[in-house]
Amino acid sequence: MMIQILNGLVYGGLLYILSLGLVLLFGLRRVVNFAHGALFMVGAYVGYTAASITNYWIALVGAMIILAVLGALLDVFVLRPLQKEDPLVTVLVTFGLLILLEHAALIIWGKDFRSLPVPAILDGTVRLQGEEFPLYRLFVIGVAAAVALGMSLWLKLSRVGLYVRASSVDPLTTGILGVKTDRISIGVVALGTSLAGLAGMVAAPLLAISPSMGSYILIESFIVVVIGGLGSFTGAFFAALLVGQIYNFGAVYMPWAASIIPFLIMVVILIWKPTGMAGKHV
Amino acid sequence: MQTSPRRINPGRKGFTLKTSLILLTASLALGVVLPSVLTSMLILSLLTQAVISGILATSVGLLIRQNGVVSFGHAAFYGLGGYVMALLAQRGIISIELAILLGIVLPTVMALLLGLVIVRIPGVAFSMLTLAIGQAVHEVAIKARPLTGGDEGMTFTLPERIFGLPSTMYQNADTMFIVCWTTLTLVLFGLYWLIRSPFGQLVDAIRENEERARFIGYRTVLPRAIILAVSAAVAAIAGVLFTLYNTFLSPEMLHWGLSGSALVMAIIGGPKVVWGPAFGAIVFFLVKDMAGNVSEHWPIIIGATLIFVTLMLPMGIGGALQRLFIGSGKQEA
Repeated sequence: MMIQILNGLVYGGLLYILSLGLVLLFGLRRVVNFAHGALFMVGAYVGYTAASITNYWIALVGAMIILAVLGALLDVFVLRPLQKEDPLVTVLVTFGLLILLEHAALIIWGKDFRSLPVPAILDGTVRLQGEEFPLYRLFVIGVAAAVALGMSLWLKLSRVGLYVRASSVDPLTTGILGVKTDRISIGVVALGTSLAGLAGMVAAPLLAISPSMGSYILIESFIVVVIGGLGSFTGAFFAALLVGQIYNFGAVYMPWAASIIPFLIMVVILIWKPTGMAGKHV
Repeated sequence: MQTSPRRINPGRKGFTLKTSLILLTASLALGVVLPSVLTSMLILSLLTQAVISGILATSVGLLIRQNGVVSFGHAAFYGLGGYVMALLAQRGIISIELAILLGIVLPTVMALLLGLVIVRIPGVAFSMLTLAIGQAVHEVAIKARPLTGGDEGMTFTLPERIFGLPSTMYQNADTMFIVCWTTLTLVLFGLYWLIRSPFGQLVDAIRENEERARFIGYRTVLPRAIILAVSAAVAAIAGVLFTLYNTFLSPEMLHWGLSGSALVMAIIGGPKVVWGPAFGAIVFFLVKDMAGNVSEHWPIIIGATLIFVTLMLPMGIGGALQRLFIGSGKQEA
């Protein structure tokens, strides 16, 4: 039982880290980045290549830095010029980017699945209530918890965090009060995409690395942000925990239904509250 | 409570009934003539697939045009249409004609019920939601292995005659092209009149300002749900045609990759004109065929085209052409 809950936390943690990027972007600019899953995939591949040259830890930092640079480019060349347009334009353009990134990965790394070994220091198991649990999975939970803690401190205590929170509640008033979205967005978007890189790198030893790995997790992180109420940080946190547990318990006890239940929950929640669990009127 | 408005703009430019009928006849005649002019089976087969995808793209385009939302899950209705028909007909439960009808009606009813819940959801969230719902249907098809054959898919044997015609007609590109082209033509003309009807204008008004339309006293949820249902019906028609032509079904028919392709076709062609998405499908297939011979990475061209068209040609290639030939595109349908 305990092991099951932990496994659910591992997946929920990954979903949370990935969803944060979507929530940050939605809070600041009211758009959804359909290429977010592809960035997760790029993070995993970049980390894979960097780790084969150096080691896991340098690769982890490297993947985050490269993804942050990609995020800054995304903000300057895509999101900023499009902010006056209908949000659906950004959806379509980032969907185009998704196609381009997936095929760029196909050209560079090929079709075959790659796998990244668990770093030596985390390669082992711990005994929990008489059962063996892989140390690396505990590490993933730890990373997710650290990100959650860091994020809530940053949002609560820093000035930029305050702007992001304000903007996610009411972008118009926030703008009237003198917050320049453009000036902070480059950093905020870079933070969001570097988290996608972190998620990709942390997930790499657990999943098969392939060009399409981003699509699956993109859909699941969409479920998380929709259930959580678009743009809500707390909502995304609890929704990720919930979806992680559902996937995991579902896979063990109801394998035929595991992947369908989260969709059903999402539909039920949206009937009940069209703007999500923690949703405001959008 | 009123259900539909009087004509807001009676002077609105458009085809008269007479011109429409002439165009309709011309298009139907073109469909019959084309297969005897184009003798290459390869090209005809490609065109048949393009036309079927064109019907699917038309359904996605209708939703963009009328409801102002982008669906990433239309493959669900398309695939459902095919699966419902094949599963019912395969077991000999009902006749093929009835199975075809149910293959179209069932996804339509589902879309209507779903629409009552999801059309209220704002634009971007709607896209995310349709993506998720589409993938849920895809998962169900994979998991329901005894029924659908799971990942491997299932073959579908056609009975000897369908609607009184020998079923080989539905499998040869030269005759199936006529069937698909006729269907596409009828769908386009049907939608043209739907869009220009008072009901179509009501939905226009809701898309422009839902709150205002509600304050005037119109219901705003049901009309949009009806558009979603019509759109699903068109997608299901495409799925049924595809299944009749291919006699093979796989969960790929339900995958969001297909929804995405249909969306790309609709955007490239331009959903603002009713024939735009179908035109986009033909462009898509031409690119796929020509670039596909050179490199397996042809989707890169598609992705780049999508970005280019979205940014530089918001009315799509079809809209740009219409503006070029017919003049001011302000009132186009």
